Amino acid sequence: MSRLLKIAAREYVAYVKTVGFWLSMLLMPVIGGAAISAPTLLDRSAPPPTVAVIDQTGQGYGQAVIDSLKAVHGGKPEATVVDVPLDGRPAPEVIRKRLTDEGAGERLTAAVIIHGAGEAVSIDFWSNNLLDRSLEQSISGAVTDEMRDRRLASLGVDTQALDAVQALKPKVASFSARSAGGGEVGMRDRLPGIVGFGAAFLLWSMILTGAGILLNSVIEEKSNRVLEVLLASASSAEIMFGKILGVAGVTLTVLSVWASVGGTLLVVTQPALAADIGAVLLGKGLVFYFAFYLIGGYLLYAAIFIAVGAFCETTREAQTLLGPVMALLTIPIIFMTQAIRHPDAPILEILSWIPPFTPFLMTARAAGEPPLWEVIGTGALMLATVGVVVWLSGRAFRAGALSTGKIDLKGLIAKIRGAEA
Amino acid sequence: MDAALQLDGVTKRYGGFTAVNDLSFSARRGKILGFLGPNGAGKTSTIRMVLGLVEPTAGKIDVLGAADARAVRSRIGFLPEERGLYRRMTPIDAIAFLGSLKGLPAKEGRKRGMAMLEAQGLGDAAKRQIRHLSKGMAQKVQLISAIVHEPELVILDEPFSGLDPVNQQALESVIRGLAERGATVIFSTHVMQHAERLCDHVVLLARGRKVFDGSVAQARGHAPRALVLEGALSEADVAGLPGVASVMMATAEDGHPHYTAALAKGAAGQDALKAAFARNLDVSRFELKEPTLHDAFITLTGGEG
Repeated sequence: MSRLLKIAAREYVAYVKTVGFWLSMLLMPVIGGAAISAPTLLDRSAPPPTVAVIDQTGQGYGQAVIDSLKAVHGGKPEATVVDVPLDGRPAPEVIRKRLTDEGAGERLTAAVIIHGAGEAVSIDFWSNNLLDRSLEQSISGAVTDEMRDRRLASLGVDTQALDAVQALKPKVASFSARSAGGGEVGMRDRLPGIVGFGAAFLLWSMILTGAGILLNSVIEEKSNRVLEVLLASASSAEIMFGKILGVAGVTLTVLSVWASVGGTLLVVTQPALAADIGAVLLGKGLVFYFAFYLIGGYLLYAAIFIAVGAFCETTREAQTLLGPVMALLTIPIIFMTQAIRHPDAPILEILSWIPPFTPFLMTARAAGEPPLWEVIGTGALMLATVGVVVWLSGRAFRAGALSTGKIDLKGLIAKIRGAEA
Repeated sequence: MDAALQLDGVTKRYGGFTAVNDLSFSARRGKILGFLGPNGAGKTSTIRMVLGLVEPTAGKIDVLGAADARAVRSRIGFLPEERGLYRRMTPIDAIAFLGSLKGLPAKEGRKRGMAMLEAQGLGDAAKRQIRHLSKGMAQKVQLISAIVHEPELVILDEPFSGLDPVNQQALESVIRGLAERGATVIFSTHVMQHAERLCDHVVLLARGRKVFDGSVAQARGHAPRALVLEGALSEADVAGLPGVASVMMATAEDGHPHYTAALAKGAAGQDALKAAFARNLDVSRFELKEPTLHDAFITLTGGEG
């Protein structure tokens, strides 16, 4: 086994045999699942809000609100309605007390005072939750419907007939020459854009994670003075590429495990969707885009991070030097989402030609089938940039590995220029 | 070729700073060479050039017959001044890994490493993570990592620093053992006692320049011999003795003055002794003191360091 492979194997084993690696890898899908289902779970587990309805109009709008709040959605009513006797006191005074003071009876979540005369109806909505406006909108909707029904009735319009009129709409079908069947567009046709975005986001995460692992690894070796020992045993290129390869192995292990677990779950629970995603990944060549840009993007950022790490003995020092790179990495995230709807937008086409963004944006756009010349051109430019960056990083790594003391960006560039051959 | 290492007019400049200036010396195969000098003399820079980690600005280096040490790195063992090992690795894994980078099969590396760890009293610690070892233990592990592949040339940069006297003695035995096996050992130090006991040959560096190259005995020859005298004497009595170049006075434990008189080059100590008796001086102690390597170091470096 060559020295490069030995260094790669050590790097790989050093990470893979730690408990933390497996814990974080297995926890990540759990955390992801929890993040997706958390809003629904929260909604289901929270008890319905306790609401008081005080109707001062004498026109029965309160009952419409109560009926609306008691209506059962998803197995439970929207709210529990309680009666609040005013006993001759002003309604706001009573409600204010009940919203804050549990001693005065069941504590209210919200209260509504409906007042006014004729069609000049006003609703005062009281609540302790300033941010959640869903209950307020629901109550407003119930009163609005009631007011409109009454006006329509006074005009002699049958409300059921009106509902039927409002329900009228044409059946819309989308067609595209690019659809799988060459005609009507279905979910399977829209799937590539979503999968492309997902793949681009996964690529971004993997590259950033891999480069981050490399950075920490080099900083550890630098601060522990292991780099000098390694340099006496192997060339700087062997060390650098050995580490890059080892961490790539770690990243691919994570990807394989997640893909296997996710794929299996999808096949078991949603076999049709799994088949469609599989068809998109293979049929549209997204797998190959993903593999090509994963290699290019990983090499590009890994080389930069490893070179910077060679000059740093603490993560803080590295953060200072990597600030511009991290800022640069946020740009593709902003534009990747646009690639789902507008894969051929001029701004995306321009940004795709900037090599640090190419891997992410071209992966996101891949489903939109960009022109071949654009794919080849941006790919070639990216590979050329990777070559230059890897060469420069090699020089920087060699200079940094034996350097001592803190270094700024200016010093880093000077070191690269004056690095030993 | 008899030399394992040959430097010829080697210079290293970092910008306007000259770390090593026109350095030439050679290390004979199977011998121990002490590379001496005060801190900042250019020892580490020279070692890094010898190892091919940095290129000389000028001059030639021949290492084991190669113009570039990187071509023969598997035949070289190196212990850097600033020690470093993977803290979460076990000693036996670290030794096998670093040995494997030098071409030693992992299985053989583990076998040899285990034997060497046991010989150093570290058999029990072989499978404990290095972060749990003491500094002295970790240094031994690093030394074993540097020599497990049985290199022809062993370069040790300040190997004694940080070691207690017992471990320093153990390290001296290891270095002697390496030379007995036929390896050429070069070690840098600024502690002269180790070099005095171990070295066949010393090279002394000061401010990047070589100030001495030869045997320990030759180095000592550069420092003046001294007379130590005690008794009811005046400084003028001692200064007036034949061959005395200078006198330093201190007070002995018994309250009498204690004189250390440097002898002029070529002066005989007996002449001063004869003169003292002839002049009926009250001498209670008379000792002719041969210079040590430390004295030579001070003389040759002009007291630097």
